[in-house]
Amino acid sequence: MDTFIILLVNGLADASLIFLMAAGLSIILGMMGVLNFAHGTMFLWGGYTSVWIMARTGNFWLGALGAVAVGALMGLVFERLFIRPAYGKVTAQILITLGLMIVFTDLARLLWGATPLPALRPAVFDGMVALGGVRIAEYRIFLIVIGVLVAIGIHALINRTRIGMVMRAGVQSPEMVRALGIDISKYFTLVFAGGAALAALGGALYVPLVGSVWSGMGMENQILAFIVVVVGGMGSFIGTAAGSLLIGLMGTLVAWFFPPAAVVANVLLMAVVLVWKPAGLFGLEGK
Amino acid sequence: MLASLQKRLHDTVRQGVFHPQFHFLAYALLGVLLLLPQLTGLVTVGLFTRIFVLAVFGMSYDLLRGYAGIINLGHALFFGGGTYIAGIVFANYGTSPSMLGLAVLGTTAYAMLAALLMGKIAFRGGNVVACAMITLALGEIVRQIAESWRAVTHGADGLTFPIPMMFRDRVALYYYALAFMVIMMLALRQFIMSPTGRVLLAIRENEQRAIFLGYNTASYKLVALQVAGVVCGWSGVMFALTSRFANTELLTVQQTLNALLVTIVGGTGTLYGAIVGTAFVQLAQHTLLGLRGVHPIFERWLLFFGAIYVFVVLFMPTGIVGLYQRFISHWLQPVKPR
Repeated sequence: MDTFIILLVNGLADASLIFLMAAGLSIILGMMGVLNFAHGTMFLWGGYTSVWIMARTGNFWLGALGAVAVGALMGLVFERLFIRPAYGKVTAQILITLGLMIVFTDLARLLWGATPLPALRPAVFDGMVALGGVRIAEYRIFLIVIGVLVAIGIHALINRTRIGMVMRAGVQSPEMVRALGIDISKYFTLVFAGGAALAALGGALYVPLVGSVWSGMGMENQILAFIVVVVGGMGSFIGTAAGSLLIGLMGTLVAWFFPPAAVVANVLLMAVVLVWKPAGLFGLEGK
Repeated sequence: MLASLQKRLHDTVRQGVFHPQFHFLAYALLGVLLLLPQLTGLVTVGLFTRIFVLAVFGMSYDLLRGYAGIINLGHALFFGGGTYIAGIVFANYGTSPSMLGLAVLGTTAYAMLAALLMGKIAFRGGNVVACAMITLALGEIVRQIAESWRAVTHGADGLTFPIPMMFRDRVALYYYALAFMVIMMLALRQFIMSPTGRVLLAIRENEQRAIFLGYNTASYKLVALQVAGVVCGWSGVMFALTSRFANTELLTVQQTLNALLVTIVGGTGTLYGAIVGTAFVQLAQHTLLGLRGVHPIFERWLLFFGAIYVFVVLFMPTGIVGLYQRFISHWLQPVKPR
């Protein structure tokens, strides 16, 4: 029972972090058809920004806020300068975002060095809490709460607001939205910057959990997010949430019971899902 | 009707692979390359040996990206796999020439199996985007396995190994590598001109239509991946002979991106564009690293690498070969006398 609670909490906390990253990736892919390989770079810059600000001000929340701002700004600039010239050209977009990933990962290495930097948890959530007889890190509970809040927030945004309506329509048919007199390119910029900000927030919240920030973490987590998107189905919000839960919980279980398989477990899961449902769990067939 | 279409396609392929104006240039270049070791020092010879080997890596990538329209982001697993297999064989079983045979055989088997698994998973969803994501994940898995399987691969420290006697002379190795590149280029060209190659072109142009014409596109793509994977694995074995060292860098996404960059810079779907691109990228890297005394920024090769990348994709989508062909067909077009 104790093990069960620990694994459940750890898995849900991991799932929250993966979700922060995969949500933006999936919406951008579904609506704009852009596979953003620079998404992990936002995650990376979010992590470094928060650590940098926290080292100077000692305030974790200021660091997280700064990370979100940097992520949104990067998303804005990337979309305007680099993605926009290549709409509709899938291959060119993949290549351009790959190039951006390389440049900005190396820039991070240039600014903050190649060795990992230590990252601290916020003082408020640094303790342990007793839950059903086991001691759980408060920070993990905090991550789960954030993950749930963000999921509810995005769900409400997509289903209850005008922006969300245009986004949903944009996933179905961008041409039709344009034909109805809505300047969809504004929404593209907005969605791209929003997704980037979420990824940067994910990075800022991820580094205190593992205790350090290093330049390879963007790619590592981006691959997890890719697997989530493939498993859940591209562009499906529910699918992304379900995929994050699946990958987060399974990763924790495998790491606990059979560590050597941790490397291949995710890909195995992806292969099984693809054989069974080629479009992903919640994907639209033929999309 | 179909016959004339096929003829036209055949001509396009032939022109793409070997533009008539290119013949003279190719022979002249080959002549210069044959004489090069007599004219320059060992540093240049080493650099060009590297270019020849990496050009084959690039060409195997171009077969996928330029001819079959597949973006494979795990391609490094074939290259690094070849280098590791050769290294493990030489380090554990000695360096007699028959061991090279074993390394090549082992690499071929490994590449075919890996390509089969990769293709079965990645071509399942059917679109370019899913394929790119899945292959990226697969490549990363192989890298992590190599990193954690320390007993065999020595993990992050890398694996140092001796090589067979016949390849230890740098100039001899240069000629072996040159021959390897030329043979691989002709073989790949032959493959592209084959009926299978033409179906691949059709898939690249319009996969939906190829399906409607009754082709099982997934199995054709699988064949392309098999061929590209095996050729790539062999180039990895050749790389082992030039470097005498293998580490997990060879299996990273960065290594795949190297191949992707050279095909874009050179010109995708031209095969020899990968050679031009590799030469350009390697010489640029060599020159920039030589400038590090001027300013330390020149040590950050990846910054330039990424910048070239974005620039070429945005402003030079046809690459150097494309520019050259446009120059030839536009400015040097023969005019009929009045």
